[in-house]
Amino acid sequence: MSDAELLEHLRGCDACLDHAMAVDPDNFFRAIGGQELVPPGGVDAFASDVMTQIRLRHTEGSVARRLLIAPRRLAAAAAVVIAIGISALVYDRNTTRPAAPPAAPVVQLATKPVVETYDSTGATIIEVPVEGKNDTQVVMIFDESLPADL
Amino acid sequence: MAAELRLMIPTKESVEPDDRQLIQIIREGEPEAFEQLVRRKTTKVYSLCYRIIGNAEDAKDISQLVFIKLWENLEKYDAAYAFDTWLYRMVTNVAIDFMRNKQSRENAVNSSLRLVKTSTDPEQGVVVQRKEIENVFHAVSAVLSPKQKTIFVMREMDDLPSAEIARILGCRESTVRNHLFNARKLMQAQLKKKFPEYSRLWEERA
Repeated sequence: MSDAELLEHLRGCDACLDHAMAVDPDNFFRAIGGQELVPPGGVDAFASDVMTQIRLRHTEGSVARRLLIAPRRLAAAAAVVIAIGISALVYDRNTTRPAAPPAAPVVQLATKPVVETYDSTGATIIEVPVEGKNDTQVVMIFDESLPADL
Repeated sequence: MAAELRLMIPTKESVEPDDRQLIQIIREGEPEAFEQLVRRKTTKVYSLCYRIIGNAEDAKDISQLVFIKLWENLEKYDAAYAFDTWLYRMVTNVAIDFMRNKQSRENAVNSSLRLVKTSTDPEQGVVVQRKEIENVFHAVSAVLSPKQKTIFVMREMDDLPSAEIARILGCRESTVRNHLFNARKLMQAQLKKKFPEYSRLWEERA
């Protein structure tokens, strides 16, 4: 007799169970195992309840998904409309943009410069304007190519 | 010749798909086959739930929840593993979560105490004795943690080997043995306190 068969027998035979418990008291609680129990109302009613709940959840899930999808679709449509609107505005601005302002007029000097030619690249020549005819004419030449101890 | 003929006649057992085949059928788009799976596993699931929870109505609700979770997670089942191990894992997870709720634990203890009072009918003989042991179990197992109780039930009542329990709970076999050892000690102490007439069994042995 296998262990499982022995246990099954113990669960149905009080005399053997008493003896088994005297040998090993842990068999005390083992006496209530083994047998498969049926839920209140029976297996058919139980299975039917489970399937009803599953169908109900499935339906609720579908409705919830639909409710969830509808705002998403609306949001996507709104995004497309906004994108088209922005594109139209940008296009409109580009096409009706006013002409660029004219370039600043070149100032014509009234007097001739003191230094007319200077053979150096990158030099800056500043002539300080004079108030009267007797004032000294000051001309500043900034040229990095010139030696420092000039 | 007669034997050969008998073999050719398909029996009910040979036609009925096993668990893995049934799940494959459900996955392939026949959700109605799930009802067949529910019917097949109801007593197994309910028995385990009832022994862990100790209350018929709660056990029924938890069993239903297990099957709903099973339906929702059926795609995750790996057919390389035994279906019952996977199912038992789901049962123990849901039952342990339920037991961890303080209110429900109190309800379980109270209901078992009520049962103890109503099940002492001497006319029912053996049935009463078994029922009495069941009631004693629910009363004294209230001191166990949900995990200890689950392990104790699977080992002592469902006769599952420690290795299988370890696979179900995702822990080591030594952990299962430790939980079992502690559960037995705690229950013996509780038995001595609440039901001294039964605790004599252990005392005599010691």
